[in-house]
Amino acid sequence: MATIWQSLELLIVKGLPTTILLTLGLLGAGILLGFPIAFAQVYGYRPLRWFCRGYEQLFRGIPALVLILILHSGLARSFNILLPAFTSALIALGLRSSAYQSQIFRGAIQSVSQGQMMAARALGMSKIQAIRYIILPQAFRLSIPPWTNEFSSVLKDTSLASAIGVLELTKQGTLIFTRIQFVMGVKYVLVILILVAFVYLVLTYAGNAALGFLENRLRIPGFEMKGKVER
Amino acid sequence: MKRALLAVFFIGLFAISGLAQTYDVASDTTWPPFEWADAEGNLLGFDLDVMRCIAVLQGYEINIISYDWDIIFDDVGIGRADIGASGATITDARELKVDFSDPYWTSDQAILTRADRDDLNIVTALSRGYTVGAQVETTGAGFIQGLIDTGVSVILREYTLYPLAVLDLINGNIDAVIQDEPASEASAKAEEELTIVGIIKTNENFGFFVQEGDPNGLLPLLNDGVKQLKESGVYDNLVRAYMGTDLTTVEAAWKASIGLLDAGNVVDFAQSLADLANQ
Repeated sequence: MATIWQSLELLIVKGLPTTILLTLGLLGAGILLGFPIAFAQVYGYRPLRWFCRGYEQLFRGIPALVLILILHSGLARSFNILLPAFTSALIALGLRSSAYQSQIFRGAIQSVSQGQMMAARALGMSKIQAIRYIILPQAFRLSIPPWTNEFSSVLKDTSLASAIGVLELTKQGTLIFTRIQFVMGVKYVLVILILVAFVYLVLTYAGNAALGFLENRLRIPGFEMKGKVER
Repeated sequence: MKRALLAVFFIGLFAISGLAQTYDVASDTTWPPFEWADAEGNLLGFDLDVMRCIAVLQGYEINIISYDWDIIFDDVGIGRADIGASGATITDARELKVDFSDPYWTSDQAILTRADRDDLNIVTALSRGYTVGAQVETTGAGFIQGLIDTGVSVILREYTLYPLAVLDLINGNIDAVIQDEPASEASAKAEEELTIVGIIKTNENFGFFVQEGDPNGLLPLLNDGVKQLKESGVYDNLVRAYMGTDLTTVEAAWKASIGLLDAGNVVDFAQSLADLANQ
């Protein structure tokens, strides 16, 4: 029992901070890149639209692990670009996440009806103003439910960073079960793996609960798409 | 006043930057007794303590990083980490990527099987079409591949981590595991179900390794460091502490002794570690 607590503490102290930092970095990068790409795909001029579509197709089409290896090992070997492991993981998974998030935002933008844009323009707003004051506030709210999905997968994707040696939750878990196997025996490996899974589960649950709270707080009465079901 | 503060700041900055060079030491810390992480996450083991002692003697700082074995030669080879200390056998293939220090340890390969497999001995385990596990890119894996290439009937299954191979052996998915003797002994000690059926005298030499061409001039420091450790008896004490002793006992001994090394006392550290580990 003492070992379990000690292992959990070790996971939280030595593994969790990196996992959280990487997750926040990825989500931030995803929003910063994803939102402009989504708007460019919907409202941009043709060459820009093509570029964004290419970007999104490219980074949604490559497995995250392959992307990490290309950035970390491939570039280093061929061009002598030596990125630290954390940076490689952040860039590779950030590119992937921004492509996925751009499609979440694009869906949200496109579910605001075209008529609203036309009405705004008819009232004398510029295109930018219409996006800023009419489309964006609605699209932002609409994108929260599908975005919780992306949050969950980004959080768990950070475990791929262990492949290039980033000392996050999963990698810390392997270090712990290595020792446990030698010191206490093989049957404790399962215990450690369940502990690692448990920490991810708690993180995902807490994050989704926070996003659900945000969704409710930002709800505009009369404008809900989901309509809270009263039982 | 302001200027004085500024001066103090810059002198301080200068002092810090001039104090000691720090080198990154890469190690696959899943391989006791050479390198592993204790229950508090402290990294210890024979290789790592040799590294720490040499760092004290040669006046530089080290920062030990847990590395995956399958990328360790690549990453040290291109300079992403400065020194590799990971129970690595000196081989021609690896010499293409990195430069090795003088040999510091000689090892043989051991064949590990489950104790209930009475039908297996060192010959049958490697010749009757059985599956043998090994960590990827190790000399053990190379040995089995060599057998396969000469037409021996044996199947090789490779794992990214050594403990995963042992796990698969216990679970019955493979018939044997080939690995260096000290690590195999640690496994056999930890698990009653496992036994070493034989040793293959490969006489491999372990070396520390650095980037190709040694741009930081580390190899002379490492070679001279090992020599000093051997002359002062520190090396023998580290061997006595780590080889064939119980892991939890060594961990406790290490925790009680490491303060001596932090204070710069290499000889007393090794003496205390060896004594406590063998009580």
